[in-house]
Amino acid sequence: MSRPLRRVVLVDDHDLFRAGVRSELGAAVEVVGEAGSVAEAVPLIKELDPDVVLLDVHLPDGGGQAVIMQVAPERPGVKFLALSVSDAAEDVIGVIRAGARGYVTKTISGADLTEAIHRTADGDAVFSPRLAGFVLDAFRSGEATADPELDQLTAREREVLQLIARGYRYKEIAARLHLSARTVESHVSAVLRKLQLSNRNELTRWAAQRRLI
Amino acid sequence: MSVGPLRLPAAFPTVERSERGRVLAGVCAGVADTVGVDATFVRLAVALLSFAGGAGIVAYLGGWSLLAAPGAQAPGRRRRVAGVVLLVWSVILALGGVGLAGSLVWPLALVAAGLVLAAGAVTFGLSERRTRLGAAILVLAGVVLFLGENTRGSATTLLAPGAVAVALILVLAPWAFRLAHERDAERAARIRTEEREELAARVHDSVLQTLALIQREPNDARRVATLARRQERELRAWLYPDREPAAEGTLADALNTAAAEMEELHGVRIEIVRTGDASLDERTNALVLAAREAMANASRHSGAAEVSVFLDAEAGRVALYVRDRGSGFDPDAVAADRRGIAESIRGRMERVGGTARIVSAPGKGTEVELELPEAGS
Repeated sequence: MSRPLRRVVLVDDHDLFRAGVRSELGAAVEVVGEAGSVAEAVPLIKELDPDVVLLDVHLPDGGGQAVIMQVAPERPGVKFLALSVSDAAEDVIGVIRAGARGYVTKTISGADLTEAIHRTADGDAVFSPRLAGFVLDAFRSGEATADPELDQLTAREREVLQLIARGYRYKEIAARLHLSARTVESHVSAVLRKLQLSNRNELTRWAAQRRLI
Repeated sequence: MSVGPLRLPAAFPTVERSERGRVLAGVCAGVADTVGVDATFVRLAVALLSFAGGAGIVAYLGGWSLLAAPGAQAPGRRRRVAGVVLLVWSVILALGGVGLAGSLVWPLALVAAGLVLAAGAVTFGLSERRTRLGAAILVLAGVVLFLGENTRGSATTLLAPGAVAVALILVLAPWAFRLAHERDAERAARIRTEEREELAARVHDSVLQTLALIQREPNDARRVATLARRQERELRAWLYPDREPAAEGTLADALNTAAAEMEELHGVRIEIVRTGDASLDERTNALVLAAREAMANASRHSGAAEVSVFLDAEAGRVALYVRDRGSGFDPDAVAADRRGIAESIRGRMERVGGTARIVSAPGKGTEVELELPEAGS
């Protein structure tokens, strides 16, 4: 299947890591620009208007959130995929709530990262197993909340997230649950939306601790 | 926590007499601990107040009576009321000591007692309606007394000694404040230095050692990967302690240990994702051993570089999945020669009332699903 060419900007403060990612990215992904800090990244992204920004959660002069918040209002078409070595839930949840379409760890293989970039460019959500684990934890059942529509996962969404946490890819999830790949994607996108909009205590607490909202 | 319900509203800091560094009954030290100043300041204040008609001594006795002994329950109602009366008395003595005439002090004392009573009904465990009535009478009596006394006396004799006291406070307060502030700054600097030293020691012991080892054997790719992975695990455990289960002896803890051993032994990456946790008992222990066997199989036979583990523990039910994207195999075709699966995984789980399911096909990777139902069901 041939895919449209995706223009990507890399934002990471480690030169070595950027070089590694650039060499590993597969066909149909072109790195059009690189930045090592928030101050560099914001004007660069605005100028280049790429399809996807690969964004490190931690940057020396702020975080991935700072980049998203300064770029998103002016360039709503640019999509962000967070990339991090951090295991800390508040980092991950923070960047997602700022508007990133997904989160992957830096140990991801080149092929998987290429796939994730295409998925992000298509407007889908990209969940790593770890992010799925965080979300399942944060949306633990049992707590009565003000807005069940936003603050709770449906049984199907929970099932999909559990499979992601087990290391399944979307296609494998679709096969296992007898759904179309499109349906799996829409479930994951719904979860992402809840993650960004829900006022559930655990989420707001994480965000508030880091003064993200 | 103590057994009795805490009746103090949250706005009142709970002051306890202090066992640590006490001289008499620990009242000064206890107050100092709560306020956050050196006990010497409090003692000095009490000593100075003792010259004001013995106010310091009365205040000390009041504190002794009112405050709980360290770790003990709050004293009884009678002791607390006595304590408050003594404290009020000491305030009156102190005001007299700095020269405020009785004509001002007594009305003030009555009004203050009324206000304290009104605010503290809950604290003293008194009925609210009666307290409010008593408080109103006290305040009214204070106001009447004040008006009665002060229509005669002249305002200057009344206020001059008070002005002296205010001036003294204005002169001394900045000095005391600066002293306390300097002490805090010094302590903060010391804590920072200690933290930096700990960080340096940690980096030296682990990261620098690992880097040195890697430089000595740069050509052994597997060894380099193993060293790097071990270092990564150590740093993570230190940097994100809340993500790594801090409590020793939980299921997640044991699983992490088992995974770390397998990584060391076979040079693969094992990624653990979990939601929830469970305590370690005979059943969950068997689960960990079965998972360990599954991880070992995946590391040894699948040829995959990474193994995904997902632990899902909620409401007593525990599920654990070990998945690789390696060569896979036909589960029906393996006969008696691979006793690992039959005995170490299935047998183990079944003996503690759990189940094990192995899903695999040649070229499709392998997933081992282990499940423990709720205990006792």
